[in-house]
Amino acid sequence: MYQISICHLYPDLLNLYGDHGNIQALRKRMEWRGIDVSVHSVSLGEPFDPEAHDIVFIGGGQDYEQDILLNDLLNQKKEALFHAVEGETVFLCICGGYQLMGRYIKTGSGREMECLGALNHWTISGDKRLIGNLVFSVEGLKQQPDGYIVGFENHSGKTYLGEGVTPLGKVVHGFGNNGEDGYEGARYKNVYCTYSHGSLLPKNPGLADELITLALKRKYPDFVSLQPLNDSLETNARISLIKRFTRK
Amino acid sequence: MKKIIHHIRLYIALFIAKGAIFFLRLSGSGGTSLPGKLALAIYPDILTVLARKYRIIMVTGTNGKTTTSRMIEQILKENRIDYIANKSGANLLSGLTTTLISDVKMNLKSRSHTALLEVDEAAFRLSSKYMHPAVLVVTNFFRDQLDRFGELYATLNAVRDGISRLPDTTLILNADDSLCASLGKEVPNSVIYYGMNKLELPADDTWVESQDASYCLYCKAKYEYLFRSYSHLGHFICPQCGYSRPEALIQVDKILSLSGEFSRAIFYTPSGSFTAQINLPGLYNVYNALAAVSFSEALGFSHEKTIEALSCFESGFGRMESISLGEKSIQVILIKNPTGFNQVLSFLKTVENPAAISFIINDKLADGTDISWLWDVGFEALAEIQDKISRFFVSGIRAEDMAVRLKYAGIFTDHITVEKDYGNMLDDALEHVNSGETLYILPTYTAMLDIRKILKKRFHLKNFWQ
Ligand SMILES: [Zn+2]
Repeated sequence: MYQISICHLYPDLLNLYGDHGNIQALRKRMEWRGIDVSVHSVSLGEPFDPEAHDIVFIGGGQDYEQDILLNDLLNQKKEALFHAVEGETVFLCICGGYQLMGRYIKTGSGREMECLGALNHWTISGDKRLIGNLVFSVEGLKQQPDGYIVGFENHSGKTYLGEGVTPLGKVVHGFGNNGEDGYEGARYKNVYCTYSHGSLLPKNPGLADELITLALKRKYPDFVSLQPLNDSLETNARISLIKRFTRK
Repeated sequence: MKKIIHHIRLYIALFIAKGAIFFLRLSGSGGTSLPGKLALAIYPDILTVLARKYRIIMVTGTNGKTTTSRMIEQILKENRIDYIANKSGANLLSGLTTTLISDVKMNLKSRSHTALLEVDEAAFRLSSKYMHPAVLVVTNFFRDQLDRFGELYATLNAVRDGISRLPDTTLILNADDSLCASLGKEVPNSVIYYGMNKLELPADDTWVESQDASYCLYCKAKYEYLFRSYSHLGHFICPQCGYSRPEALIQVDKILSLSGEFSRAIFYTPSGSFTAQINLPGLYNVYNALAAVSFSEALGFSHEKTIEALSCFESGFGRMESISLGEKSIQVILIKNPTGFNQVLSFLKTVENPAAISFIINDKLADGTDISWLWDVGFEALAEIQDKISRFFVSGIRAEDMAVRLKYAGIFTDHITVEKDYGNMLDDALEHVNSGETLYILPTYTAMLDIRKILKKRFHLKNFWQ
């Protein structure tokens, strides 16, 4: 039996926009296929063991709460997280979690808050909140052949990608990374970053399955592919939003 | 000359707004914001002029402000106080203006002397520029419609800022909410705190508790709790800086019963203890009753009248509303955020036979355009009792999202019907309800307005403004 361990980083601090839905989607989609799943929380003052987990999830939080955990992140977990990223552990980092993986966040008052620096991107506080439904297209997504991902974004930080990091997709409707260059999210090794929060994975089962597949392939070299599920409810939810926001 | 023009503009504003109120009622639309909007556009200071004529009681906060207002209203009725109130959730500046305009005559004399106003927590700061309430009740702060209001702490600070303009207002604050309680720190106002004493609570396994405010507002250390009622409410104490739950003047000492229809509790006040029955289910309504009892206490009303008010209280606009259809009935319960929703789900678990449940989820501005909070609600609790429920219906703009949410909560997909047409949904749902059973309709705000129109047509319900 395949076994997958999910680590939810700072679930008590970064849990803003229905992040629970993403964990729930990973868990259920593995359980429905008979894969053994366990979810572990790692928060302030608790060590992160890079060898122990196959998928790491970091969600979004209020700025207020991000402050508290920056200290913990840099002083207690930095090396272990680097190790996991370079070791091709699967990461899903959303909104605040996405920003924290980068080099720094420059606040409205001009203060530069040092972040993890596992990926070469950075975030600059904007004066406008980028809020609304988000549709973006990702290349090569099995099971979602149209390649469209639907979600909701709510951030004032504008994120820019440096060398070595590729965007996750192209914005079809909404703002994306910064509302300027038309890109959304970031990818590096098996790290997926996006501003699309909340029920990202339940509504985009193709992306959920891609993360699960990557995790299984990394851990079990003989693993081939996931058995398909009946995703008609999920697909209806996704298609209805694509129709509403892109007239396609 | 300038003064005369000013006066003329005031009367024109009043006249046009009154005309608009008249025609809107005639057409049966029950519009509550347009008349106020017109008046404010013609004479921006009209609210200041009108507000001076009243003793103003304001209620704000994230959850329970409508129910608390209705309880206070019942208390005013019992004590024979003439009042005007904004009843239909018209709680932005324009709605407040409409409410006062409908009460004043063309000669600017007011019919009532007390105005009971429920105010949106984001609109409160602005309202404080125009009106100086005698009493301000703040219920609590929870995450709510983040995309509209920005973040929780910003909302809290906006309310704090509004209060700083009102040093003479008596504040009635929830001691058990670390955010709400902080409003009473270092202000010149007189403050009455209310809360629950450490007491026994029935076990509630609805969900991993939401973490709206687990870290100290002042120093960011994690609060410790000597007692917790639900979510972040309870006897919090910061181990680092010492910020802790203030002593409450009005307390619930004991909860005697919590049922699907009502609760009974012992209230402690400086003028003596009493037992009261609250004619609404749920722990959150015990908090609303506490706020209302504190109000009674502040105005020196008798316990008898307060007890009477709480027990004969009728639920507010759509918050929890029953329609009897002979053998069957329909209950409409407004949902607007995870905490409120979880409370409704734990209520449904106490219902003997919840026959059919219909979720109507919209994502318009007044509902909150971001519906990802549905994933913070413990629908998993419904999966445990799904054998008692004949069918789940989902409707509204975001029906498909809600269907996915139920699926991942463990509800069997062949028990879920997606039906976007409200009329068809209602027909189909009522067929799944046997005599003696209830159909529960759980809409978001704008969905409630829509479903209520249909219910009103079919079952001859009261108009909104009555
Ligand atoms: Zn503290």
